[in-house]
Amino acid sequence: MNTNHQERARHLQAEELEALAIPGDHRLPARSSAHAAECDRCRRDVEELQTLHVLLQALTPLQPVVGFTDRVMQRVRLPLPWRVRVLQAVRKHQVATAAAFAGAAAAVGVGLVWIARYPELTPMTIAALLVQRSTTLMWSGVMEVGRFVYGSGIVETAQGVAGQLTLVTAFVAVATVTLIGLASLRIMLSLMDVDPALVTSHWQLRRRVRG
Amino acid sequence: MSYKEHSDQDLVRLCLKTDERAARELVERFERPVFSLVYRMVRDRELAEDLTQEVFVRTFNNLQRYDRSYKFSSWLFKIAYNLTVDHLRKKQVKTISMHGSPDAVTPERQQATSLSLESDEESPDAMVEARELAGYLEDAIARLRPEYRTAILLRHVEGRPYEEIADIMGVPLGTVKTYIFRARRELRDLLEDRWDGGDEE
Ligand SMILES: [Zn+2]
Repeated sequence: MNTNHQERARHLQAEELEALAIPGDHRLPARSSAHAAECDRCRRDVEELQTLHVLLQALTPLQPVVGFTDRVMQRVRLPLPWRVRVLQAVRKHQVATAAAFAGAAAAVGVGLVWIARYPELTPMTIAALLVQRSTTLMWSGVMEVGRFVYGSGIVETAQGVAGQLTLVTAFVAVATVTLIGLASLRIMLSLMDVDPALVTSHWQLRRRVRG
Repeated sequence: MSYKEHSDQDLVRLCLKTDERAARELVERFERPVFSLVYRMVRDRELAEDLTQEVFVRTFNNLQRYDRSYKFSSWLFKIAYNLTVDHLRKKQVKTISMHGSPDAVTPERQQATSLSLESDEESPDAMVEARELAGYLEDAIARLRPEYRTAILLRHVEGRPYEEIADIMGVPLGTVKTYIFRARRELRDLLEDRWDGGDEE
């Protein structure tokens, strides 16, 4: 007859069945309950789902044996605050830390002596000088590296190799680089104390948008 | 404020400040649901305990990488699901052989499973019946594919919404709906004989 009647005659969808069978905050269109009241098949489906839900809900939550919590807690290592971790690292690598401190102190000392040699310098001129000096130093460094690369014949060697490069050697090279990359990533993760399996599962979780 | 009154998120925050009592509260709060899910996946009490222990250890030891915009229980169930599925994949043979004896209700299984329908007021007959039904239901659940099993347990036992189940299992929403639909149909078919039996007797 009319579309309203056809709509009412349509059997219930999965969501509608669930909304009728499982109490919750679902919003149910009026036509669903009207249809369920008239249609034997859908009413039976709702009742079946209801029974299954009640049965599954009634399954007792299972309990691990006594002492489980203690055993878990014995193995749990909660993440420490970063200050504590730094202190622990210092305690663990005393020689390296001492060397780093000595290096830093020496650098500061040299800087102070250098400044002391020019008593007319103000903080601003010192800053400007530092920027100028470090820029010069950086550029000369780049130039030095360039000169070294050209002088050593690396470029010629690379060109020679490229001339003889076959598909197989290219593949081996790419594979080796990839393997080294993956291995170092793994080593890095283990140094950071990260479980690689968790990193991927966390990324999967992040990718999903949720409310 | 006692630890019992804290929300999951508050407890996580305290754990990140190395508060062990907060961690213990989270373990106590979730050990039953996680163990229940894992046990119903592997059907071996000792193994389920080992896996559950591992789930908590991994969760806490990697807590800094937990994104607090997600529910803590989602993250926990996700780790539990991944760990259990990994284990089942390695031990696939065992799961198949278990399917060979559908009606075997071992004493261990009977002890581990029971319906909370039974109470002191119920008659001994009703209790026996409920216990028997629980056994059949557990066996039927055990016969489902692990994906169906997880989805239907999370939906009907843990009452998790579809979107969250999709997050936990790392599959699209449509797949979860299919899993749950098929799981229900298979459970209904497996329990066919028992389905109306209770009413008629
Ligand atoms: Zn209908």
